[in-house]
Amino acid sequence: MTVDAQLIEHMMEPKNYGTLEDANSEGIGKNPENGEKVAIYLKVLQEDGEDVIDDIRFQAIGCSTTIVAGSMITEEAKGLSFTGAVNLIAATMSILDKVPPEDAACSEMVALALRASIETYIKRKTDSDFPAITYQISNNCAPKEEGEEV
Amino acid sequence: MKRLAIKMHEAWLSTLMAGFMSSGVNKQRLFDFSDILFRHFTWIEREMVLAGEAYNYDRDTIPIKVVKLSVILHNIIERLNQIDLQLMSVSPDLSHRITHDLKYITGAMALLDDEDITAFNTQRKLDNLELSDEATDALTLFLFEESYKEYELIMIYNYLKAHSDDAYINRIFQILVDESFFHLKSFGDMMAKMGILGVPRIVNKELYQIDDIKGFFLAGIDEELAAKEECRKLSEAVGANSPELAKFFDFINNQENYHIALMKDALAHWEKETNV
Repeated sequence: MTVDAQLIEHMMEPKNYGTLEDANSEGIGKNPENGEKVAIYLKVLQEDGEDVIDDIRFQAIGCSTTIVAGSMITEEAKGLSFTGAVNLIAATMSILDKVPPEDAACSEMVALALRASIETYIKRKTDSDFPAITYQISNNCAPKEEGEEV
Repeated sequence: MKRLAIKMHEAWLSTLMAGFMSSGVNKQRLFDFSDILFRHFTWIEREMVLAGEAYNYDRDTIPIKVVKLSVILHNIIERLNQIDLQLMSVSPDLSHRITHDLKYITGAMALLDDEDITAFNTQRKLDNLELSDEATDALTLFLFEESYKEYELIMIYNYLKAHSDDAYINRIFQILVDESFFHLKSFGDMMAKMGILGVPRIVNKELYQIDDIKGFFLAGIDEELAAKEECRKLSEAVGANSPELAKFFDFINNQENYHIALMKDALAHWEKETNV
């Protein structure tokens, strides 16, 4: 992980960390290999006929990289419509192959938790008891050994 | 009582952070006060356990970025005054003890000399050491990761201890809590000196509200081994620039051996007692 001022800021004071008392949706991104996971809580409001993320929090069982990814992505997602948030998830997923594997796994876990929380909200429009959706990541957290095929 | 415990948890952490920030004679006093507040927290927790009250270690985020020590001390005094108003929920004996402690602590804090705070300047310079950029980055990442880990361990061992009446295992949990406090204080001091101090994040309750104690000990031993490896790597990374700092991380690395021995001891005792 490259340590720059922005990263230090997110590590010193992660944005949006914790739970949300008045959340109306949540979703989970999970690494099945090591038990790490991210939960995202959303408070969604209707604005001009669109679902908008009014507030967002995340909690993680994971490393500092996961916390930084959660801090950055939730900060970006706050205030977005669902369409905007889906674009944010797509943009995050599209750059995963350009970052180190351990960073990719952490970012994917956060992006999938956000996708799960959005989809949980949509499901709850017709079934208010719908359980929180969980998605598993496909990137491996462990860096490849030298010479190992990527 | 639950709300009181949360507020005491926040006051304890805030005071501990103020101790890290201080670079003068106030430091040890603030550490002593934070230790007292932690004990208050554990005593309130014990009363919740005895009363069968469900609780967890969730809390609010704690803002600590200040330029003067007096600002955070004023904030802590306000926190402690609020706690004083909520003490009716605990037993009279505990309430009496905490009230008197808080009265003294708030009075003493108000008299502490002010200090300029550099714990948030992100300069990433440790004492007068000339570390390479690579070593500085490695140290930065280590301190963030491991300071949280030590806080997490304190909370996990503390929770398990609060829910166990097994004196043999509780003795081991207490040693591990004490050891993690030493590590947390060492790392927190370094973070403050480097200008990158941050409050450890909230511990997810899945990590301490556990049923599989055997699995916890086995995973704990693996984590201690991983921590040893992190210390070894860091010692190597900073060794070229600072043999003294490398020695410190070798010292921490060696301490983990005893933690592993204690956890193996606790695991053997657990298996014998429960036939699991």
